[in-house]
Amino acid sequence: MKKRHNTRFSFSILLLFAVILIGSRIPALAHKVMIFAWVEGDTVFTESKFSGGKKAIHAPVVVFDKDGKKLLEGTTDNKGEFSFKLPKVTDLRIVLNAAMGHKAEWTVPEAEIRQAGAIPEKKSAAEPSRPIPAGLSKEEVRKIVEDSLDKKLRPIIRMMSESKSRKPSLAEIIGGIGYIFGLMGVALYFKNREKKR
Amino acid sequence: MHISEGVLSAPVLVTGAALAVTGVSVGLKKMDYEKIPEAAVLSAAFFVASLIHVPIGPSSVHLVLNGINGLLLGWLCFPSILIALALQAILFQFGGITVLGINTVIMALPGLIGYYLFGGLIKGKNRPLSLAAAFAAGFFSVLLSGIFVAGALLSTGESFISAAKLILLAHLPVMIIEGIITLFCVAFLKKVKPELLGGVYEKAS
Repeated sequence: MKKRHNTRFSFSILLLFAVILIGSRIPALAHKVMIFAWVEGDTVFTESKFSGGKKAIHAPVVVFDKDGKKLLEGTTDNKGEFSFKLPKVTDLRIVLNAAMGHKAEWTVPEAEIRQAGAIPEKKSAAEPSRPIPAGLSKEEVRKIVEDSLDKKLRPIIRMMSESKSRKPSLAEIIGGIGYIFGLMGVALYFKNREKKR
Repeated sequence: MHISEGVLSAPVLVTGAALAVTGVSVGLKKMDYEKIPEAAVLSAAFFVASLIHVPIGPSSVHLVLNGINGLLLGWLCFPSILIALALQAILFQFGGITVLGINTVIMALPGLIGYYLFGGLIKGKNRPLSLAAAFAAGFFSVLLSGIFVAGALLSTGESFISAAKLILLAHLPVMIIEGIITLFCVAFLKKVKPELLGGVYEKAS
């Protein structure tokens, strides 16, 4: 009886370790879909992908305002990207509906849109080659600096939003397994009390 | 296989939760002293398996391991899978808390069906036949899970046929891999302790 139980148990442990081993060898992982969005000027860019790193292609994207009114919808392209002109200045809730019951959303707060400088003035970036006149006003200098900062920071913003999609850390994985064994302990404890009674 | 939060309508969620509660309570009733550690280990295996991404096929899929869970645990696979899914929802944001019930049913019920369909064959004397049954149990558990997901998505207006096609196509590599994993597990158990598989079935019935 005792022996039998031991074999089963050690076999199960073996299976678990095999799974962990394979799991740690393969970098990509599982099942969640994500959408990121960032604002550049008056355009909102979104990028969608599964947590395995695969892009969510041809998936419908719906944009809502903060009152839950549908503003527009579209489909991601071959690279899982979808961009649209800002319909209005409000909190944007962007919902991605990938197939197989996967859904994700991303909110662009109103403040971010205002910061992106979308609304009041159109960008002067349209005429960059114009020779710079001698006396630049403070306002103009500020604008030029902001524009180039925007451009330079773009990849960083992108990286930051992607870092939100970080994979589960080892601590979380080990923690989860720890919880399961903790629960096993609790179950054994109660079963044991039943037995004694 | 994890359905995200906010996709399904309330009736589906409630039905799923009710079925899950039934399954879990039956499972807990059948749980005897020695099976607790085994259920915990298989639960942990299930918990980690969802992190193993299978890079073949059109979309992002991962191992499920519900076949081997069902085969070794029978009804106990309900509580085992529920716990693993709850932790995945909390720690990895896979699925979610409101969809916990339906997700449990989607993954545990096929395991249980596999147990009743193939459990008898696996303990048989005919080695090739029992190995084939083990493969089939791993294979069909994932297949059935896919069909259940498609069924659950019916309520969202997604057409059953197209959803099922998409899911099953994406999971084809997983089905084959899980079939092979289950086969090796059973082969191992049969070699090390052949009466062991048989014992389980007598006990749990």
